Amino acid sequence: MTDKLILKKDHLTAFLRKLRKDYLLVAPLQNHHGDTLFDQLDDVDSSALDLCNQPQNSIKEFMFPQQETLFKYQITETNGYEFTPTTETTAPTIYFGVRSCDVSALLYMDVTFLQTATDPHYLARRQQSVLIGLNCNKPYANCFCNATKSGPFLEYGTDLQLTDLGDRFLVEVGRAKGEEIVRKWPHFFNPAEDEDKKLQYQVFLETRGGFSQLVHVNQAIKRLNENEVPDSVWATLSQRCQDCGGCTYICPTCTCFTITDQPLSTTEGLRVRSWDGCTFSGFTRMAGGHNPVKRGTGAIRQRFMHKLHYDVKSHGRPSCVGCGRCVNICFGGTDIIRFIEMAGQEV
Amino acid sequence: MQAERKNLYLPYTAEISEIIEENSQIKTFVLAFVDQELQQEFSYEPGQFMMLSVPHCGEAPISISSSPAQPDSLHLSIRAAGKLTGAMHELTPGDTVGLRGPYGRPFPMADLVGHDLMFVAGGIGLAPLRSVISTCLAEARFANNRLTILYGSRTPSDIAFQADLDSWQNNPQVDCHLTVDLAEPGWDDEVGVVTSLLDRVTLDPARSKALICGPGLMIKAVIGELKSRNYHNKNIITTLERHMKCGVGLCRHCHMDQTLVCKDGPVFTWAELLKLKGTEFDP
Repeated sequence: MTDKLILKKDHLTAFLRKLRKDYLLVAPLQNHHGDTLFDQLDDVDSSALDLCNQPQNSIKEFMFPQQETLFKYQITETNGYEFTPTTETTAPTIYFGVRSCDVSALLYMDVTFLQTATDPHYLARRQQSVLIGLNCNKPYANCFCNATKSGPFLEYGTDLQLTDLGDRFLVEVGRAKGEEIVRKWPHFFNPAEDEDKKLQYQVFLETRGGFSQLVHVNQAIKRLNENEVPDSVWATLSQRCQDCGGCTYICPTCTCFTITDQPLSTTEGLRVRSWDGCTFSGFTRMAGGHNPVKRGTGAIRQRFMHKLHYDVKSHGRPSCVGCGRCVNICFGGTDIIRFIEMAGQEV
Repeated sequence: MQAERKNLYLPYTAEISEIIEENSQIKTFVLAFVDQELQQEFSYEPGQFMMLSVPHCGEAPISISSSPAQPDSLHLSIRAAGKLTGAMHELTPGDTVGLRGPYGRPFPMADLVGHDLMFVAGGIGLAPLRSVISTCLAEARFANNRLTILYGSRTPSDIAFQADLDSWQNNPQVDCHLTVDLAEPGWDDEVGVVTSLLDRVTLDPARSKALICGPGLMIKAVIGELKSRNYHNKNIITTLERHMKCGVGLCRHCHMDQTLVCKDGPVFTWAELLKLKGTEFDP
């Protein structure tokens, strides 16, 4: 198998049309409001694929939906109380145009849902996923994946990895599912020339120099590790956090959840899992009202410590992937870049 | 049971065979899995907890109050504190609930062998310690351990596990003391917080281990007293209660600095807790 291939942009629609025959497609699409979101691409010809703007969401919600039914439960007259797992079958799905930050985030979710414990719902969807990644060629205003080492060009984790070379994509074959696709539709691909490979490297260098944010992630990690971040930092951030949870929902690596019962009648109901957020003040509240986490500072401390300290200690790298989405969404100015700046300042 | 489970969130049906009314707020539910095979395979260790499902109320973590040394027994002692526990109190023998587990790091039973053991509990906090105490009294390897039990309740009518306390008070291996915050007519024993009982204890801190469970404030107060009596941090062991949704380290509701109480605990030594920051045990 040739390691690097060329796919002409003129052939992209036809290629996606072929893929759509065997797979569901999820890709960044621009809706009629002008918003770009990862969404299901049903009709390749009429949908507005948008590989220029940063998708507002990540692909988190496709692997770990905002809300999903885990079980249906039934209470019978003969004192029965039975849980039936919801057997949603997942179709093979290609996630197309996923940028390196979001691929890194998915690899982190794999650690959470497949290594800490095996979450059967996540596993079912993940096993059916095929990733066609897109190396970034234009960092957005709040991007800092260069500092979290999760982009802009990721060399692992995808089945196929694309680099935009203007009128064509350079295609690198990653895992077996990518090879399968190239084998099945070989006429879309030509071997890459040396010139293409040189151009890819040039794009990489230009991208690397294109970050407008200089975020000192490593310095924050170091200061957290040395316990040098003063409590006043948590206090200041907590005062300005509006408890909206927006950062945790939009974050591609935030996976806290809650599980609740939703009765449908006196004898049956659904057990539902939904996204939750450690920044919510009620997240740790126990029956009777006692909350073991410090009012104010404890919640926001947990969020940043988890991303930049605990995960570094347990997995060797932060679980912030530098996508910058929380910066865009936070109206209190308590996003992770602000934290990293404050943590880095000498007291 | 854990390894073979296909879906970690799936609760199994268990039937309530007996309900023991410990006091006006605490009931002990004796449970058995309806599936015979499951019931036979089921095992646990003192200090572990179960995720309990009550119809329409979701799930909550409940520590096991029985001892694995008593075969076929699974006791959950529950104080009516919220929606799920309140609904649990409405159930009667023959009713069914959902159970999955056991979860959590248990008490280090092997490390307790050969030590004098002091148990300090407040209210429902005696539940997980009862599992350890019953195990110590049932297993030959603990035959030479002296057990001291200090139990504090709000009032004499709030004393739970009275049958156990009676048997411990009559057991030569056990030294069992009670106290209440507020006396009632007929109470001629200690009045005051549970730490006031520590003066009655003559154990040698160098060869003793203390196991503590109760409200956070009580745990802190007891540990403070034990430190002034020269107990080593690693010989002070407690078990914590937290809000939890999964029990296996995913939902993160039970975070406590870098630990998750569900899988790193709920049993911790004071030496371990001292390494954490931003917890309720901060100085």
